[in-house]
Amino acid sequence: MKNNTPKIAIYDFTDCEGCEVKLISLQEKLLLLAEKIDIVNWRLGQEHFESGPYDITIIEGAPIKQDEIELLKELRENSGILIALGACAALGGIPAIMPEAERYIWYEKIYGAGYKPKGVDAKPLSAYVKIDFSIHGCPIDENEFLRVIEEILAGKKPSYRPYSVCFDCKVKENDCRIINKKPCMGPITQGGCGAICISGGSPCYGCFGIREEANIAALRKIFKNITDKETTEKYFSMFHSRNESFK
Amino acid sequence: MITQNFIAKIEGHGELIVDFKNERARLAVHEGERLFEGILVGRTAQEAYWITPRICGVCPVAHNLASLAAIENAYGIEVNETTRLLRLLMKCGQNLQSHILHLFFLALPDYLGVDSGFELEKKNPNVFKNALILKDIADKIIYTVGGRNVHPTTTTMGGFNKIPSKNDLQKLLKFLEKTAKTAKWAAELSRKLEYPALNTDLELVAKKNDKIISNKNETISVKNYKENISEEVKNYSTAKFGKFNNREIMVGALARIALSKNSKKIAKKYGLNFNNPFHNIPAQLIEILKYHNLAVKITKKLLIIEMNSEIIKPSLNPLLEGIGAIEAPRGGLYHEIHLNEKGVITYANIITPTVQNLSSIEKSANDLLCQTKNKTEEERKKLLIMLIRAYDPCLSCSTH
Repeated sequence: MKNNTPKIAIYDFTDCEGCEVKLISLQEKLLLLAEKIDIVNWRLGQEHFESGPYDITIIEGAPIKQDEIELLKELRENSGILIALGACAALGGIPAIMPEAERYIWYEKIYGAGYKPKGVDAKPLSAYVKIDFSIHGCPIDENEFLRVIEEILAGKKPSYRPYSVCFDCKVKENDCRIINKKPCMGPITQGGCGAICISGGSPCYGCFGIREEANIAALRKIFKNITDKETTEKYFSMFHSRNESFK
Repeated sequence: MITQNFIAKIEGHGELIVDFKNERARLAVHEGERLFEGILVGRTAQEAYWITPRICGVCPVAHNLASLAAIENAYGIEVNETTRLLRLLMKCGQNLQSHILHLFFLALPDYLGVDSGFELEKKNPNVFKNALILKDIADKIIYTVGGRNVHPTTTTMGGFNKIPSKNDLQKLLKFLEKTAKTAKWAAELSRKLEYPALNTDLELVAKKNDKIISNKNETISVKNYKENISEEVKNYSTAKFGKFNNREIMVGALARIALSKNSKKIAKKYGLNFNNPFHNIPAQLIEILKYHNLAVKITKKLLIIEMNSEIIKPSLNPLLEGIGAIEAPRGGLYHEIHLNEKGVITYANIITPTVQNLSSIEKSANDLLCQTKNKTEEERKKLLIMLIRAYDPCLSCSTH
């Protein structure tokens, strides 16, 4: 047993677990990090479990079921620092596309009339508790994870990237989607992702979170000039359907 | 007091409920319902293969490819040879990556006397070193073709947004050649481990081209997947339980080997037993070599041919209803998508491999309880959890 090393718990609510797969992608770097911390709970990776309190709790996924919501509140009380890992935890993400009011229709269509649903609604962690920091992405960038955790371990307050995805795009020498009249959430989205989706030829739906001081109204204006209303809504709701400032 | 009832080291949240007196076991899946089939309706065809990989971060490429196949089927698109080969290469990377994650980080710690895969670094450094080499090559394949190791970025309807350069493929081939001996080591490792005994009347099913084949001499057409693979809702689970013509079946690596041309030869060489579901673990180890070899073959072929980056457009009068089927790491994965004339999704249905395996897991668990009467409850529970892990359930996939 390590003494005086921060106790870290990794939890996952309902999601795809792709962000945890990204953590495993860190390989040796994760081992180096593990020497400085004590992972006392990681259900996906180990049987070993300690019931808390934890110095740092990292939560992946959206709390969809009532027991997940209760556990989240309990974890908040038992954690020093609470971190949202990935789009589902930080934003609601893909599961949050399903509106609460429509869930019952789909329960019946998918499970049949007699089914007793377990899910309530898919919302970000911040809908229920205070989050100290969000590591954004769908999936996260594993090196961003490392940066944030190391800053916390060094006693610093981690900061968000002060620039947008546009900066990453320039570094990658990508063609600008907006200049080419293709919708893009990049201008209002926090950088640090390396513009990986746009570099692969896919759209940017803003999974890295809205950056500080983003000019959302200006981007809406640009969308108006290059695409229709339906497409605009699809872009603004892929990861951000629960973002009140978008409504 | 925070407690933990979920089974550790499996993908997703499941609880084992055992009735030792009546020798019955249940696997209760506690994932929240994300209702992906509802999320897809109203979204566009192009968003389908963006959204469905997010069903599962352990097999996102499989969902991406299945959705692409369904959409292209709906639009009457036949992709070109370059696209076909690149996607096959991605699939090799996916099946390697998923098997390696499952084996070295979830299932094999049971057999190697550790709790976490990362403990192997000190307790079994050779295994650990090789696991990282294999994980790395699987990631490299997917990065090279798909743009990212989790949730691909380069694929699109009719082809690829971006195809790798010959230089990228040359580099990949070098890595593949360098890691060939590690892939062989994995297959050899399958012979060195000891698997628990279990004798079940196991029916194994795998998809081959446009057919779904059972080792009990039954073949159906992929087109009829919905009629032949039924799903039952159980009150203790958010995942449905699948059956094949009303029978419990096992899909995945062991089934693929059992239904391959060389099944007898492979079974003899590696001591595989097609009536013991624990042997899905050696089967996955053997498949590491198989997919690694296949990746080498495809990469070499791509280096010889003139690559064509053309994206094929929809045909003139498409059906607008399509099925995409793929042998995902855990077995047959079926996506069905219907579109309207504007390319908006009007219907989606997804049957995952784990849904098909859930009924078989419970049947095998009951058999295991009947065949371990002389053991303590503690020992039997441990074996049951090892059995569940051997099936490599992906509970996120099962409750999509």
